[in-house]
Amino acid sequence: MSDVLSNLSKELVGLVEAAGRSVVRVEGRRRLSASGVVWSADGIIVTAHHVVEHEQQVGIGLADGHDVSGNLVGRDPTTDVAVLRAEATGLAVPDWAAFDGPRVGHIVLALGRPGQTVQATMGIISALGGEWRTPAGGRLEHYLQTDVVMYPGFSGGPLVSAAANGSQVLGINSSALVPGVSVAVPADSLSRVVETLLAHGRIQRGYLGVGAQPVLLPDGLAQQLGQDTGLLLVSVKADGPADKAGLLLGDIVVVMDEQPVRGMRELQSLLASDRVGTAVSVRIVRGGQAQELTVVIGERD
Amino acid sequence: MGDLNAEMDGVIEAARRCLVEIDNGRGNGAGTIWHPDGLILTNAHVVGRRRLQVTLPDGRALQARVLAADADYDVAAVAINAGGLPTIELGDSKGLQPGEWVMAMGHPWGVTGAVTAGVVIGSGAHLPEVPQPDREWIAVSAHLRPGHSGGPLLDVHGRLVGVNTMMAGPEVGLAVPVHVIKAFLHRAVRS
Repeated sequence: MSDVLSNLSKELVGLVEAAGRSVVRVEGRRRLSASGVVWSADGIIVTAHHVVEHEQQVGIGLADGHDVSGNLVGRDPTTDVAVLRAEATGLAVPDWAAFDGPRVGHIVLALGRPGQTVQATMGIISALGGEWRTPAGGRLEHYLQTDVVMYPGFSGGPLVSAAANGSQVLGINSSALVPGVSVAVPADSLSRVVETLLAHGRIQRGYLGVGAQPVLLPDGLAQQLGQDTGLLLVSVKADGPADKAGLLLGDIVVVMDEQPVRGMRELQSLLASDRVGTAVSVRIVRGGQAQELTVVIGERD
Repeated sequence: MGDLNAEMDGVIEAARRCLVEIDNGRGNGAGTIWHPDGLILTNAHVVGRRRLQVTLPDGRALQARVLAADADYDVAAVAINAGGLPTIELGDSKGLQPGEWVMAMGHPWGVTGAVTAGVVIGSGAHLPEVPQPDREWIAVSAHLRPGHSGGPLLDVHGRLVGVNTMMAGPEVGLAVPVHVIKAFLHRAVRS
């Protein structure tokens, strides 16, 4: 009999052991602890935003069994990432992978440490893609979906794959980015989010200063614009970016930055951090007529 | 992958020779032949208190009696009048590691001798989100279904590491580790 199966099993165990040294327990919510991954040896930990309910002290269980306390450095709800600073040094940093290795069909492991010991589950990469907007409007450099089952407490833990010289961490897993689908935040997006949070403590969000609700467009306009709904402005904050651009109460926003705006989600995803400060075109319907304005997107406090 | 499949074939064929079906009058469960003289291991919840019938891999259906059962650990030993049966090799359930490849056998929904594979999520006591966390369990990323109960959980060499016992949430199977079963058998022999 060959040893393919037992070698595969040994290799899986080896990956869990190697990457598991960088997986910590994050005691950020009342009922069940979740997981996090060491970002730098001096105590920076990445985890999922939705598992950190407390803003102040967060208990962190290290791989060597020590419990230390950590502080929230910052969080980005749009990518479901939070950064913690643990009172620890000399932590094991995993090999964060560049995004040119993974392929659809590759075997991957999801690791977690909701209890004292590291836990693992296996799956394959289901889908890969380019830049992707999360439903909450965040930007990920790559779309990375797996079929790994996200067990309770696995959110914030690493997605691990085999590499030529050992284990690689492709990103961190989140059960909350897309409910019911295992999507990971890839390492290059983490890198951007972590740097921003370390520098500023927050991720900028775009701001227009309007209240809006979706409305059906009249038939003629709907046909002309190729969409059934737009966003009716029900309030416009004085001196806000929309007000300065000349937008008025009762205007219906139908297109922004050449993207259709049919509902709130589309508007929110157009207000991601990278658009703050930029001037974008806005097509509105006023008095039954379509017209074009330019708005400079502000920053939400 | 061809080699992998061939290796799986060998492991499963060998284990199937030790896999029995246990009919308790209400439904069926699985069991594993522990001793050639007809000692079979299963879950306590499979044997219940009713008359049992054990169907061997060669098709023989025999009446069985319960030798010992421990409802707390959900394990039971039953006996049939047979000899020279093939037995399962015992594995090391204390040395199981997260990520290790395992296979669960049984008769889910009455499909006899079915196999499902997964990896060890974790093992030991105090696993989060399991019932009776003070007890030792093997948590496996496998689809256990009614009819898997009492069946063997195997390592890559086809050695018995646990007895499939219950689900603890979607896609989490729990098995009683084989070292817990050994301790149960020792207690049963003494009393």
